[in-house]
Amino acid sequence: MADVAPNKLRLLKGAVQDNVDLVRGIRTPGLGRRKLLESPPPDPVQRKRIRRLWLWSPLSLVVIAYLLLPSPVVSLRQTAPIKTFEAEIKQTPATAEVKVPETEPQAPASEPHALDRGVIPLAIKKIVIDAGHGGKQPGAISESGVSEKEITLDIALRLRRLLGKTPFEVIMTRQGDQTISLDKRVAFANTNKADLFVSIHVNWTEPREIRPLETYFVGPSDDPVTIKLASMENQESGYSLSEYRRVLEKIYIDTRRDESRSLAKNIQAELYHSLKTINPELDDRGVKMAPFLVLVGTEMPAILVEVSTLSNEEEVQLLTNPDYREKIALALVRGIRSYASNHNGVDRKGS
Amino acid sequence: MEETNETFCVGIDLGTSRSSISASNGERHVIDSYVGWPVDMVARKVIKKTVLVGREALDNRLMLDLRRPLERGLIKEGAKKDEDAVQEILRHLISLIGLKQKSKNRAKLRAVVGVPAEAFRNSKQRLRSALEGVADSVMLVSEPFAVAYGLEALLHALIIDIGAGTADFCVMQGRYPTEEDQRTLPNAGDSIDEQLLKLMREHHPEAQTSIHMIREWKEKWSFVGEPKKPVVVTVPVKGKATDFDITKEMGEACESILPPVCETMLDLLARVEPEYQENVRNNIILAGGTSLITGLSDAVQKALADLGGGRATVVKDPVFAGSDGGLALARDASSSDWEKLSL
Ligand SMILES: Nc1ncnc2c1ncn2[C@@H]1O[C@H](COP(=O)(O)OP(=O)(O)OP(=O)(O)O)[C@@H](O)[C@H]1O
Ligand SMILES: [Mg+2]
Ligand SMILES: [Zn+2]
Repeated sequence: MADVAPNKLRLLKGAVQDNVDLVRGIRTPGLGRRKLLESPPPDPVQRKRIRRLWLWSPLSLVVIAYLLLPSPVVSLRQTAPIKTFEAEIKQTPATAEVKVPETEPQAPASEPHALDRGVIPLAIKKIVIDAGHGGKQPGAISESGVSEKEITLDIALRLRRLLGKTPFEVIMTRQGDQTISLDKRVAFANTNKADLFVSIHVNWTEPREIRPLETYFVGPSDDPVTIKLASMENQESGYSLSEYRRVLEKIYIDTRRDESRSLAKNIQAELYHSLKTINPELDDRGVKMAPFLVLVGTEMPAILVEVSTLSNEEEVQLLTNPDYREKIALALVRGIRSYASNHNGVDRKGS
Repeated sequence: MEETNETFCVGIDLGTSRSSISASNGERHVIDSYVGWPVDMVARKVIKKTVLVGREALDNRLMLDLRRPLERGLIKEGAKKDEDAVQEILRHLISLIGLKQKSKNRAKLRAVVGVPAEAFRNSKQRLRSALEGVADSVMLVSEPFAVAYGLEALLHALIIDIGAGTADFCVMQGRYPTEEDQRTLPNAGDSIDEQLLKLMREHHPEAQTSIHMIREWKEKWSFVGEPKKPVVVTVPVKGKATDFDITKEMGEACESILPPVCETMLDLLARVEPEYQENVRNNIILAGGTSLITGLSDAVQKALADLGGGRATVVKDPVFAGSDGGLALARDASSSDWEKLSL
């Protein structure tokens, strides 16, 4: 070691000693004992106000809820928090809980709690989220290797998380990477007596430049492209031929169709509206009728949404961004809500 | 018989926003203190790496679980992920100096790491363990002390290192600084950013701003005191580029750190032996990225006017002042000292 000037040596010895103490676990009055200087505690008046707020908030919530019931339960639970999600959500992974802004820890009621589902006479209570494909059936695969099944599951999980903050009950046809045939998905929705069925898919379309956004509800179609798409999406059928005929016949007599169309419209509108700001190239193809099996067999209003297309690499780029997928999920929530609020005679949209 | 293996010294400044390394082979590097892991399968596929560090992590932030693990310069309590992130930053920094750690007779690595002046003990312990497998011996010192040592400002000096997360103060009185000689404030670059963002949202709610844009503007046009020229930024409004004059907001945000910083400075000065106070007042050294705010040294000097005046200067190389000081310490410490501090 080089010759070290005595004045430096003294400092150096001090630094070494401090570290030796650290290694030995000895507390020294040297570095590192003081707390970070924080901003001063709130003045007493302010503190009182906080306490009072805390006392009042649960009570006032009950009162507000009482005054507003029955119509606005949806708005209490849905409008308020979901609006803030959009600001809050930056890079929330699909499965993570939404981070609620850190509030006073002793003021638990500052945000409305999820109301007991049984309290609300909702016509639409149970929603099936169907993540398209899965397991051995990857669905469409982009050139860069992104597969439909990954995207649909991710968005489905996000959707479940977001809907978890509303009075709806959510069940999922798959929560992982499993192979599930279409008839199983249909049976799942029917035996669970679900009120809505939302199937999430990602398209593959030609020519590759186009970037369609479209939502389907059940019905016959003479559009060859739609029929081709339906036959692609129907590959994992699991139905026997006779059963298939029987379900096909239902297409024409089904009274669910109007409901499904309305749901499809709401979802399509919300999706297009919120995605076009970041994705101006998006092509609003509107709602369409198609004989997708999952739509045919289900006994509740049902839609199938193709949220994007994996044939277009720019769409793929967008889809790899969690923010974009979150946006899709949020728009789906909004679509479901606005459909449900109409259905329940509660139209508080835009409040 | 002192050393069979070659020894190698580095000084590291672990910062909230940037971390730098100075090595005895002359290499110097600085990285953004960000670490990110791909959030999901999709991101993993696109990124093709298990972890990204520095700029690369920041650029791909939308696909990452992005960590800035040294908020306030400390490893965040109880956050395993942040500990891992610190380790990744240290590994990455050391990888940059071109040391061949794979060879059998690999050099013994001695590292001095600068941490905020008042790091809690358990956080320092965690920092030591984060360095296991990365360095052979470690000495932790307070960041402003490292700066002072590197500048040889050992006597009658006050170092104010204003970084991103914290402003660290240290009075040098010829001895190893004690608790009394040091302070840490949470008012620094990040708090300016937050303030500016808040002011923007209040005054120009239509402008679509992010904290990253805010930081960029600040690093270009920060000032305290009289503005030299108007600060005009271009921001999209409903997709259309729009100009905003944010001179007032910029000034106000930057000035927000002055009262706490000056108050703490005066408090520390008041504790110096009266006969040396004037010496210290005339030897105030501003370090850290936030010391680059235009007009900062003048504002600090103004605060000293009531005490009979003083002189504040900004260090020449705020990016490497800490790591260079750490390197100087690492070189000056003896082998027996290092022995005691081995991991
Ligand atoms: N020209 C500038 N004007 C104002 N602020 C600046 C300028 N350049 C950099 N900064 C700010 O300096 C900070 C980074 O400084 P530095 O690298 O010293 O911090 P750090 O060491 O990472 O943080 P800490 O020491 O608190 O852990 C950031 O907040 C950055 O925005
Ligand atoms: Mg620093
Ligand atoms: Zn599909």
